[in-house]
Amino acid sequence: MNKRTFWGFTVPSVAVMLSLMVVPLVATIWLGFQRLTLRDLQNPEYIGLQNYRDLLSDPEFWAAARWTILLVVLVVPIQMILGLSIALLLDRVTRGRSFYMAALLTPFIVTPVVGSLVYKDLFDRGGLLSWLYEVVFDSAFEVTADNVRWLIVIQLVWAVTPFAMITFFAGLQTLPEERVEAAQIDGAGFWRQLWHVTLPHLRTLLLFVALISIMDMYRVYDQVFVWTGNRFTDAHTLAVYNVRTATAFDIGRVGKGNAMSILTVIGIFVVLIPFLYRSYKDQIEERT
Amino acid sequence: MRTSSTLSRFGLHLTLMVLVVWSILPFVWTMQTSIKFTRDVASKEPVLWGYDTTGNAYRNFWLDSDPFEDGEASLWNVLWYVVAVVAVMAFFGLMNRRGGDGRPWFLGYLVVMGAHLLWIADGIRFWPVAWYLVLVGVIAYLMRTREEWNPKNWFIGGVMLTLWYGLWRFPKIWETESTYEFLINSIVVTVLTMLISLTIGLLAGYGLARYTGVSGAVILIIALGFRALPRTAFVLPYFFGANRVDQWLRDSGLSDWDFPVIDFPFIDELQILDSRLGIVLALVAVNQPFTIWMFRSFFMDVPKELEEAAMMDGATRVQAFRKIIIPVMWPAIIATGLFTLLLAYNEYLFVRVLAPTEWTLPVAIVSLTGGESSRTITEAAAASVSITLPIVLVIILFQKHLVKGLGAGAVKG
Repeated sequence: MNKRTFWGFTVPSVAVMLSLMVVPLVATIWLGFQRLTLRDLQNPEYIGLQNYRDLLSDPEFWAAARWTILLVVLVVPIQMILGLSIALLLDRVTRGRSFYMAALLTPFIVTPVVGSLVYKDLFDRGGLLSWLYEVVFDSAFEVTADNVRWLIVIQLVWAVTPFAMITFFAGLQTLPEERVEAAQIDGAGFWRQLWHVTLPHLRTLLLFVALISIMDMYRVYDQVFVWTGNRFTDAHTLAVYNVRTATAFDIGRVGKGNAMSILTVIGIFVVLIPFLYRSYKDQIEERT
Repeated sequence: MRTSSTLSRFGLHLTLMVLVVWSILPFVWTMQTSIKFTRDVASKEPVLWGYDTTGNAYRNFWLDSDPFEDGEASLWNVLWYVVAVVAVMAFFGLMNRRGGDGRPWFLGYLVVMGAHLLWIADGIRFWPVAWYLVLVGVIAYLMRTREEWNPKNWFIGGVMLTLWYGLWRFPKIWETESTYEFLINSIVVTVLTMLISLTIGLLAGYGLARYTGVSGAVILIIALGFRALPRTAFVLPYFFGANRVDQWLRDSGLSDWDFPVIDFPFIDELQILDSRLGIVLALVAVNQPFTIWMFRSFFMDVPKELEEAAMMDGATRVQAFRKIIIPVMWPAIIATGLFTLLLAYNEYLFVRVLAPTEWTLPVAIVSLTGGESSRTITEAAAASVSITLPIVLVIILFQKHLVKGLGAGAVKG
């Protein structure tokens, strides 16, 4: 395909990404240097690094950052291990596989905010789990600022595990039968087989799922917002705190919010750049 | 040996069942909450039996006002309508299959007419319905002696008539103030996002898969980087930019400009903020990186020789793309379409920030069900169930494509 045809095919998509992703990103950087409030959107005023200085001395920002990283560290490993285990189980089952798959996929499909509402139902007054809690511990269960973080973790694990599961399952389908059989003939047990045959085969997938999950957990908004709302502001993640800062009714500080976005972006890129560099090299290699 | 394998199989299924319970229990619990009596919901010990079979919570959520008030059209009228038509068609089909002599059509027509008379009594305007009845009568008469008069065709006819009538009635329904509006918003946003996103993504994916220059690699990597960025990095500049654009549109008088074609259902007044247009643009943009990567990896699987052969025979590249490549890409389009569907239908943040009143369903449910009273608890449950069920059903129907899509997109990406 020559260059002209290539651009002919790619131009609509590139135009969209240019105008609605590159330009907004540049705008974010620019807005990060302005004093700008929601009440008076028409008059940005250049204040240099003031927004960043504000942020770095804002304890709430640091708390949100710590909590976000903790969330990533807690949820992603559980999700990976659980997802892989379920995928291995599903791979062994033949009868009723599509039923299991459908049922296990549900949390992935359910609208994120609905997922949280549904979990809240379980833990709220009159809910199944809060009732069980009361039966066992003989004291009423209430969602508080302390335990809401754990509830968020529990619900997020529930919500994101199916993604890992289904990706690993798809990967397991491409595992050549002969290799498994060879390992079995050599007398490899389940764990040895997992370690020497299955996991190496899934290596790229493991990396892929880990990256996507880290990215998604790092920017999680919907679920955390529904759980915390304006009640448990301590448990706000970076994204929630960011939007709250910028769009809070009447006092939204858009400039500061944008500065926070930039810091968040820098945060994720620290993790991402080695990976992006590697994919770039792969791409170039593919072409020569 | 045999017993141990049976045992382990039993263990396997048992474990999977436990996992199944874990993943659907919350949802099942909400489902049963949605049909409970409001008095039972907030009691300390769950009241396990005793359900409100009238579906009051659903009704309350979907229709703020009494459905039959002022003779306004409502979802219930449409539902009744669909039920009536399908029932009549099925009845016709059965009669015909039993070797009816062509007379039952008249009977069926009477039933349809009766159903509509009930409607009229409910206060729907008379003339549209009367015209509609005439139409049904004519069609039924014309089909009286035809061979095509079999259950399948009756069913198709019923569906077509339903659509026809629905299109006619829907603008009326749009005007009624209820949650139903947010459903329409959701549908419009989702469909438009899917259409635009898939079209331009498909083209770009093809170009990126076939072109070997370095600029292709650069585009792909930048797109990958964008895929990782948090939504917050976009939503704030979108908000700011949309504000500016709207200001400009208002100043220049463009916002009052009547669009001859698209004006009708989608856009009342040209603006970005608080309009479906703005949400669609934002969603198409954030979905692009994923779409082009996904399509590209599918296109890599399609052998070059396929379109090269067509081009040898004198087809242009565009023709080859349309006639040869698109047909083999349907599974990819479905898979990518499913993910786009999930993204657009489930989006919360963009809609909340960019559309203060033109909500889609996820925002509507969070905003409308915030209360703590037991009535709102059942209503929230009903809302959760009714906005989630359709999409769960769609995805489960196309489950295989989803698995394949993740496999293809992921293994190579």
